[in-house]
Amino acid sequence: MRAVLLALLLCLAATATGAEDLVSGLSQDQVEITSNYTGTDIVVFGAIESSDNNSTPTGRDVVVVVRGPDAGMIVRRKVRIAGIWINRDAMRFGGMPAYYFVSSTRPLAAVTTPQILQRYQIGLASIEPQSMSTHVPAKAEPFRLAAIHERVVSGLYAETTNIEFLGYSLFRVRVPIPATVPRGEYTAEVYLFRDGNVVSAQSTPLYVEQSGLERRIYRFAHASPLTYGFAAVFMAMLFGWLSSLIVRQQS
Amino acid sequence: MEIYLPIAEMSVHWLILLSMAAAVGFLSGMLGVGGGFLLTPLLIFYGIPSEIAVATTASHLTASSMSGAIAQWRRKAVDFKMAGVMLAGGLVGSWFGVILSGLLRAAGQSEIAISAGYVVLLGTVGGLMLNESVRTLLAARAGLSPPPRHQKQYAWVRSLPGKIRFRQSRLYISIIPPIVLGVVVGLLSAILGVGGGFVIVPAMIYILRMPTNVVMGTSLVQIVFVTAMTTVLHAADNYTVDIVLAAILVLGGAMGAQFGVRMASRLRGEQLRLLLAILVLAVGLRLLYGLVATPNDLYTLALGGS
Repeated sequence: MRAVLLALLLCLAATATGAEDLVSGLSQDQVEITSNYTGTDIVVFGAIESSDNNSTPTGRDVVVVVRGPDAGMIVRRKVRIAGIWINRDAMRFGGMPAYYFVSSTRPLAAVTTPQILQRYQIGLASIEPQSMSTHVPAKAEPFRLAAIHERVVSGLYAETTNIEFLGYSLFRVRVPIPATVPRGEYTAEVYLFRDGNVVSAQSTPLYVEQSGLERRIYRFAHASPLTYGFAAVFMAMLFGWLSSLIVRQQS
Repeated sequence: MEIYLPIAEMSVHWLILLSMAAAVGFLSGMLGVGGGFLLTPLLIFYGIPSEIAVATTASHLTASSMSGAIAQWRRKAVDFKMAGVMLAGGLVGSWFGVILSGLLRAAGQSEIAISAGYVVLLGTVGGLMLNESVRTLLAARAGLSPPPRHQKQYAWVRSLPGKIRFRQSRLYISIIPPIVLGVVVGLLSAILGVGGGFVIVPAMIYILRMPTNVVMGTSLVQIVFVTAMTTVLHAADNYTVDIVLAAILVLGGAMGAQFGVRMASRLRGEQLRLLLAILVLAVGLRLLYGLVATPNDLYTLALGGS
């Protein structure tokens, strides 16, 4: 649905305003998680093209959003029972982004209204699950906030204002991709706001892949788990036998 | 020096994990224990998800018990018939344990259950070890020999039906106690990732009355196959065996055990046992603290579902 919205918007932006337009790109459109992967940065960059030379930087904002693939999340709340903290209440959310990064030229509250942020799902406060295991939104609210908080702590959600402008029209922002990000298709969205309204937007896909041995092991473990289990046992027994040979040679 | 674990889906410092496995291997080589009951909590403290720590330690135990079992087998100190009977129980226990782990995981209680299980286990084992080593040390200081143990079988063991002869152990007993023992060890291995040597070895000596020279070898053979079964089932049902982590643990454990075995001949056994008892109790207390202390964050997040 958001894709349709975005496409509509692009048409609108092209016909209605026409004064300012956006071009953007990524430093890389594929991130590979390999055995020595400790996280990396990608750079989202772009330029604002302006047809009339009178346009000014005031009232103009750029917002960059990088979203990971949707994921199901289960949030549990601990309760103290007989002195021990035990998970009791649980809430299931469907369709939460597994990764979310937003950066803007000014704090989001200064860029536009909460309604518009909500509509485009811009900002941590606007992240909403597509489904949840309760019909009472008020009951789910603390769990939603806790989920967002947990993701921020583990570096998978972030909200910053560190977009750098190089001169009048060129901008760039570093997007941290920690080692723990899930695989899948990501999108990098760039929005251009003028006086609180979206005047241009662009979306670029980004792929995060596990490559090399790790990926093959992961696939193996999930595609043929029984064989994988036997392989683990075979490796362990081989090691055990080898080390018994070493012991024997030494004694 | 980071390496990415494909199943745990996290980057770890492999050198730290290797040293942890080597330290546990050293202790186990020196004291003749499997070390699963120390390795699993250490992995959890490091930040490996509990279920993955448990399942992967099982495969590590297969390797470390394997080399011990081969050495004992060369000395002909294995009662294969007894090992087979216990194994029959062990496989059933392991199977139940893996199903139970899966249920606990689905209910979101597996971390708490594993911690609580370890608190009970380490508290009991540590307490018993501490009691015994302090007593022996005191007795040695007073110049007394440790009290002799009675050698007759318990009446309730003798009265059980289904007796068969175990030639190597020179026993004629019911198969029920070894099977029950096997089930207990299988459960422990699947739920907590321990070999269970510290449970079966005393039980084989004091309940089954097996001669001490075959106890070690027989229990090791039993543990090799039960932990192997546990590994396969965890991999097949719960996808929790991380083969890269297992390789690091196996390698570190083997290196540490080499030194441990050599040190064992130079050090006094009773002091070592006292040290181990204190270590076991300390790990148990740390886990207990984790269960009782108010957590920083009451909420936990798990990915999954839809």
